[in-house]
Amino acid sequence: MALASAPARRALARPGRLGLGGCGAPRRGAYEWGVRSTRKPEPPPRDRVYEIPGLEPITYAGKMHFMPGLARPVFPPWDPGWTHPKFRRLPPIHEQPLYKDQACYVFHQRCRLLEGVKQALWLTKAKLIEGLPKKVLGLVEDPRNHIENQDERVLNVISHARLWHSTEDIPKRETYCPVIVDSLIQLCKSQILKHPSLAKRICAQNYRLSTTWNRESLLLQVRGSSGARLNAKDPLPPIASREEVEATKNHVLETFYPISPTIDLQECNVYDVEDDTGFREGYPYPYPHTLYFLETANLRPHRFQPDQLRAKMILFAFGNALAQARLLYGNDTKVLEQPVVVQSVGTDGRVFQFLVLQLNTTDLASNEGVKNLVWVDSDQLLYQHFWCLPVVKKKVVVDWFPSPWR
Amino acid sequence: MAAARYWRLVPRGPGLSLHTAAAAAVTAPEMIGPAVAAAPVARYPPIVASLKAKSKAARQRRVERWQAMVHAAESVDEKLRILTKMQFMKYVVYPQTFALNADRWYQGFTKTVFLSGLPKPPAEPAPAPALDLAALRAAACDCLLQEHFFLRRKGRPPLYREYETIGSPFLDQLVAALMGLLSAHNPALAAAALDCKRPVHFYWLRGEEIIPCGHRKGRVDALRYQINDKPNNQIRMSKQLPEFVPLDYSVPIEIPVMNCKPDKLPLFKRQYENTIFIGSKTADPYCYGHTQFHLLPDKFKRERLLKKNCADQIEVVFRANAIASLFAWTGAQAMYQGFWSEADVTRPFVSQGVVTDGKYFSFFCYQLNTLALTTQADQNNPRKNICWGTQSFVFYL
Repeated sequence: MALASAPARRALARPGRLGLGGCGAPRRGAYEWGVRSTRKPEPPPRDRVYEIPGLEPITYAGKMHFMPGLARPVFPPWDPGWTHPKFRRLPPIHEQPLYKDQACYVFHQRCRLLEGVKQALWLTKAKLIEGLPKKVLGLVEDPRNHIENQDERVLNVISHARLWHSTEDIPKRETYCPVIVDSLIQLCKSQILKHPSLAKRICAQNYRLSTTWNRESLLLQVRGSSGARLNAKDPLPPIASREEVEATKNHVLETFYPISPTIDLQECNVYDVEDDTGFREGYPYPYPHTLYFLETANLRPHRFQPDQLRAKMILFAFGNALAQARLLYGNDTKVLEQPVVVQSVGTDGRVFQFLVLQLNTTDLASNEGVKNLVWVDSDQLLYQHFWCLPVVKKKVVVDWFPSPWR
Repeated sequence: MAAARYWRLVPRGPGLSLHTAAAAAVTAPEMIGPAVAAAPVARYPPIVASLKAKSKAARQRRVERWQAMVHAAESVDEKLRILTKMQFMKYVVYPQTFALNADRWYQGFTKTVFLSGLPKPPAEPAPAPALDLAALRAAACDCLLQEHFFLRRKGRPPLYREYETIGSPFLDQLVAALMGLLSAHNPALAAAALDCKRPVHFYWLRGEEIIPCGHRKGRVDALRYQINDKPNNQIRMSKQLPEFVPLDYSVPIEIPVMNCKPDKLPLFKRQYENTIFIGSKTADPYCYGHTQFHLLPDKFKRERLLKKNCADQIEVVFRANAIASLFAWTGAQAMYQGFWSEADVTRPFVSQGVVTDGKYFSFFCYQLNTLALTTQADQNNPRKNICWGTQSFVFYL
């Protein structure tokens, strides 16, 4: 029924907004509940006798037909006893079972933080270090880890993703972004003969993450799923030594007064505090290794800016690390002896962001003490530009950069 | 008249009439010398059928001219363009179909012989390292358990898509894991390209019909077919797989011949773009296929077929999918190498396929021996395409 919808009720409750808009055409909202000619007639007003307190109105309800002189009965709203799944009415927020008085600020996969990385660092009590850690760079520079014909194969991968993989002349970002990431991962996996530990990993899509933590009297939560997660059988070794971790005690977190740290987070009162790594107990690959974030929207305004993407990577990596730490070491807030390390890669098909997060402490309520560490390598271009249409009769990859591939 | 005007223009150009040019050509070799064997030079231009007349000879000449254009095309892209540029109504063949006995029909459309059981593996020159079955089984179990049990997904799967939402990521993980583990035995696998849900298209002509109605009623017209397939995963290599049997291997089994039009299958005609695509364009160095993995949607669940009293159609669904998809893939690979119905393949194109519905797997091997399926090219063509396949057996209990 058209009038059963909420917009209809809202229109009826505010009679001042009725009436045609300019130019004699109905208002846009009119099409929601129907034009005036098809609207159900309003119920007649109640009898005056109901407004007199203390009087018991005598109605014709028992007689089952209208009787002049008796009051019109008013019946309670009919409860059918069962709910059709299409027309379910949720109870009001205050009556829902998970309602809590304290508001929780939830970060989900479409949250674009205003202050970007600074805000993410404050929320996760982390210290930023530009550039990837030396251990990772050492692995990259090691010639034993290089793949044969690396340049030629990466060029093939880029051409395949940007040009060859679909029948259209210019493939769209929604298709080429996942293709390029999958192909690069496939290229890495081809080294499985040299590094048998690569076989102990498995990829999972559509996992659901949920973690909650307190941060200076604010309750924060990371919830939802975004992208793929590579799980491993063995945890990543900690990168920063204990001295470096102790040294972060002196670091002061950057605040951005007057902007509140919870800006752009979704505030809700109905939430669940339970932690959820996304997998059940007994999963043979329990440790998160790398997260992949793809910005695949075709239109630029729908895609995240690099700063917002880095913030999202920090927060999701932190959420995964925190859930893992609570699973391993319990829910008490303490400084971890074995820090949990999670990596993350974010891209929009051309520009890559790399991130390594080391969770040193689960004591996040105060601003003092040991901080977590985040290494970020931002804005690595895989290639400068890609001409799909023939320019001077050849299809060319202009100036591609080997560094982000490593 | 236009013809007369045309005739007058010709002699005016170079200043000589056609007759004098021919006479000069005749006298030229006599003047060169008796040492050169006088090649029989035509005294008159060749007498050929007209080009634009409304006659069968003219049509034949136009067809031959078009075929000569394809033969003379320099690049494969140009050849494919000339072969597919004219759009007419064509049958759209769906590899995953509910039609009864679709595999017999598809064998007829693609000139394929179906042999049960897999072909004998070629004799290996060097002894391969022992297959680590335990590790493979463990990897497969991990993929299964992750998708079916351990991964907590958001919300319920959409209606009638439960098997696909679990089966599709499971197949992705399984293929990736097996490729990694088996690259020790087959180093080419480590360098292969893996595609996820990339389209595969193929367009071909086979057989003829008399047009029943319309302004071309009563005339003979070729039957055109198009397959638009989307395998869940496929592995492409840069080197071709070795053949299973020689190119002219003759199989004594006859290809089923159906006595009615393909419309009875049911198969419907549509006119849209003719595409030939293996999963990536012609410029890709990985242009040979290795294996395709197909996932059957919920429509072809065993329980559903059994409820419809179609227990014998369970295997038919697997076989029809394999024959159609693998024929399309190998045919497209062959066309990417420049072969077509008038320029038949000189080496067989081989690919493999795995068809599954999530729980039951079947394995198929396909060898494309001939692309000459049009009536004109098929007159003296003894070659047949061969498809080997297994029954579907359960993967886990």
